[in-house]
Amino acid sequence: MPRLWFDKGTLLLKGEAGTPYGKWDPRSGCYRIKACHYRDVLDYFRESRIRLEDAVPDLPPLEQLKSNVALRIYQNKALDNWQRAGNRGVLVLPTAAGKTFIALKAIELLKAQTMIIVPTLDLIDQWRKRVKECLGVDAGVVGGGECVLRMVTVSTYDSAYSQAAQLGNRFLFLVFDEVHHLASPGYMHIAEMYIAPYRMGLTATYERSDQRHALLPLLVGDAVYSIAVEELTGKHLAPYTYEKIAVDLTPEEQSIYDADMGVFKSYLQKRHIVLKSAFDFQRFIMTTGRDPKAREALLARNKALRVAVNSEAKLNLLAEKLETYRNEKILIFTLYNDLVYTISKRFLIPAVTYQTPREERREILANFGSGKYKVIVTSQVLDEGVDVPDASVGLVLGGTGSSREYVQRLGRLLRKKEGKTARLVEIISKETVEVGISRRRRQKTGGPPTVASE
Amino acid sequence: MLPSSLLVVWKRKGEIAPRYAKPSADNLEVASRLIDAYKAHVGDRKKVLKAFVADLENTGYEYRFVRGLSLLLDRRGTFTCNSKVSPVDLRKKLFAAAEKLGFPTTLERRRRIVEAVASELALSPEVVEASFYADLDDELVLERFEAPSASELLEHYNLSLTQTLLFDAVELRFAASGNWQNMFYTVKKLGLMYEVYRDGDCFWVKVDGPVSLFKLTKRYGLGIAKLLPAVVANSEWTVGAKILWKYTNEICNLKLDSRKHGSLLRKPSLQAPASYDSAVEEAFASQFQALKSGWVLKREPEPVVAGNSVIVPDFSLERAGLKVYVEVVGFWTEEYLLRKAEKLKQVEARMLLLVDEALACEKLVALEKRPQLHFIYYHDEVPLAPVLRYLEKAFEEVKVGEVEFLSSLPVRFTEAVVSYAEFAERVGVSAEAVKAVFAVNVPLGYVAMPNALVSKEKLGQINGKIEERLKQAGKLTFSEATRIIEAEGVSDASSALTHLGYNIAWRGISSDEAEVSKPPNRA
Repeated sequence: MPRLWFDKGTLLLKGEAGTPYGKWDPRSGCYRIKACHYRDVLDYFRESRIRLEDAVPDLPPLEQLKSNVALRIYQNKALDNWQRAGNRGVLVLPTAAGKTFIALKAIELLKAQTMIIVPTLDLIDQWRKRVKECLGVDAGVVGGGECVLRMVTVSTYDSAYSQAAQLGNRFLFLVFDEVHHLASPGYMHIAEMYIAPYRMGLTATYERSDQRHALLPLLVGDAVYSIAVEELTGKHLAPYTYEKIAVDLTPEEQSIYDADMGVFKSYLQKRHIVLKSAFDFQRFIMTTGRDPKAREALLARNKALRVAVNSEAKLNLLAEKLETYRNEKILIFTLYNDLVYTISKRFLIPAVTYQTPREERREILANFGSGKYKVIVTSQVLDEGVDVPDASVGLVLGGTGSSREYVQRLGRLLRKKEGKTARLVEIISKETVEVGISRRRRQKTGGPPTVASE
Repeated sequence: MLPSSLLVVWKRKGEIAPRYAKPSADNLEVASRLIDAYKAHVGDRKKVLKAFVADLENTGYEYRFVRGLSLLLDRRGTFTCNSKVSPVDLRKKLFAAAEKLGFPTTLERRRRIVEAVASELALSPEVVEASFYADLDDELVLERFEAPSASELLEHYNLSLTQTLLFDAVELRFAASGNWQNMFYTVKKLGLMYEVYRDGDCFWVKVDGPVSLFKLTKRYGLGIAKLLPAVVANSEWTVGAKILWKYTNEICNLKLDSRKHGSLLRKPSLQAPASYDSAVEEAFASQFQALKSGWVLKREPEPVVAGNSVIVPDFSLERAGLKVYVEVVGFWTEEYLLRKAEKLKQVEARMLLLVDEALACEKLVALEKRPQLHFIYYHDEVPLAPVLRYLEKAFEEVKVGEVEFLSSLPVRFTEAVVSYAEFAERVGVSAEAVKAVFAVNVPLGYVAMPNALVSKEKLGQINGKIEERLKQAGKLTFSEATRIIEAEGVSDASSALTHLGYNIAWRGISSDEAEVSKPPNRA
């Protein structure tokens, strides 16, 4: 009888039969098959009426799930579409629309060993809590130095990728949180090296600027459900306002900014370089490795941007805003880590960056959740993944031009709570490139009209 | 290994190579300046060190080179947080105080909060400020530093640079002069796969991974980078890698060679095969060597090709050009034995398997029919007698074959002395076989000595010289006679003398005292 087994992230097939999904591997003297074709191979043998010894899955024991998840109408619709697509596919829903609950319901219905794959350690904690609350079981964890496999296991993308050769045959259902990450050249191996026939992708920001999201149908399944923020605002999401405030740089800052930006611009002019897209910029960065002048120009631009983004004037305005929103829960976002620490030190506000020790980070987020801390300041690490229902004010002191970042930061504030109106306030430096960066990130996202104030 | 942002390469027409830091005066100076800076900054914050490094970057050196060296030096240092209070606890207090007393939107209010916390902890406000974020990476203090020499640092840098380039490798090919067991073990441990090609006496090993079968993938680049030190630890090696260059999405070739690059790269110390896998192996090796059987025992010899994979045997035994590989099969899992049996099926070389009889694996028994494999079962300890019997038999078999071959060989010599060893090597048989053939079948005009054929003409010349000497001096010691004979290119002195009818009268063990004479009846 032909035998099929798992070997380091792939399947091996030995015996008197081949398969259209595999390739002969002279190194092993048998057929080798991508793990993601596991179900296809089984189907092929079943249809050919050939008996096959299937030694592939090595699953953690099943546990009795208790469920108290009740889905909203649109969540039910999303789950329904996903099931009809053969338990595969991507669901595109705004942050705070309750993606987690759809996935948990799917686990409950499938009753299959599941790995939930998330981008950050904070999200591991959050999912674990939800699994316990909604399914009544302890979730296993892979990542952050832990490796405990259970019926429902939460892992980071990093660990799921680096341990694919050992974990690829341990689960039948994969949930990809923030599934846009999966399309990266490295992480896409996760989709290929795991046997799980059932797959669900969740995201609020399906599109990638590098267009690689086009791979997702192959890796997870088609986008089977999509709903926009506007459709949910009010009933399921908190209403929100957006305000942009431009501040003047101090005269000193302005002169440093102008001088450094001048160096950068004159270099571009001299070389006839036009930077229109992210790709152009990437190419320019590459030349800085060969050309010291290009590097000098890049460093000057970064310094100028730093001055604009980290402006003293912004800090003064920030002080004002902290007064104004004294009774609200506030998230402060910056572009650079040093501004995070400047703000943290100056205003004695807890900071969360990639350098924050994990225990302290957990505690800060827990305290923010419970209301012991009313303000936290962070760079980009919390763009995805902190869930604080009653955070209502976002103060953005700097960011990249990406519209994903904007959507994600906004998403942190949109969780519905009675009587809450979320405010996103962006503080930018006048007459600097920040104006353009701010405009770029809000493109494509719509939302309520900007309240311009100076 | 370095972050890929610090990678510096040469790339031209599909070839790629790290831009190595040669031990030039310039590079050695940068290295020394950095090392000195680290030594001088013990006790300072990382921030201060990095400011020095940034200055050095701006003095016209390739910044990625300077930063790469600095990163390697960081790893030789111990950075610690030397705050009097735990910064995490301190922050907790400060944040809580700010929440309680209201956010310090003015500096005055901030000062009051800091002072309140300071007095609660019985610290000065300055200490509180200094400890606030003393655990951030840049604020850590260099406590200890193990300084390398400047050239060591450059070699380490070059090795790291090569490994960094290999992150983007889709496959690696290498040949090496030894260290096989360690290299194959590393390949397996890293989840990689290999294929072995044989090119004459040279083995080529190609390394990639399971998924490589389906697409060009960099997934195994990290493993390949980790394998590199085991390869370059050899005295001779050649490495070729296919690099998927991300900026242009093309495949570039990296070619390195010990002759050209060996001295640039840091050589990790070769793991001496000191410890044996098992006590059985150890006992066998020492007992066998004590026998002085004429067989030369070598541990961890070159790999033996078995189909598409290899076996690195535990020992090889070699005698007069005949090589027998020895593999000790001790206590292992059944799966291991099955794999081993599968491999052994494809072995072409002569192999002696010493198998623990407790294993009694039928898969192995089925292999006993194969003529090139010989099984000896042991209990606790390998019995030497059957091993020797097998070796002698193998040797005899080979010799018989060779004798037949040699006898059929039409030979005609012109040299005065034909050494068996040299002739054996020329024809490709064992010296023993040559000796056996010529002992029976002496070529015309020659005399068969223990180590060589000597022409009768040459023996006549030797005889003349000895007689002359005897006439002059009246007597001749054996050591003198030996010198005369060896000067004629013949090593078998005593046999030559005996053949020429001389007596050697020994008066002790010293050849200086042994006297050579001719019996009177032949004079």
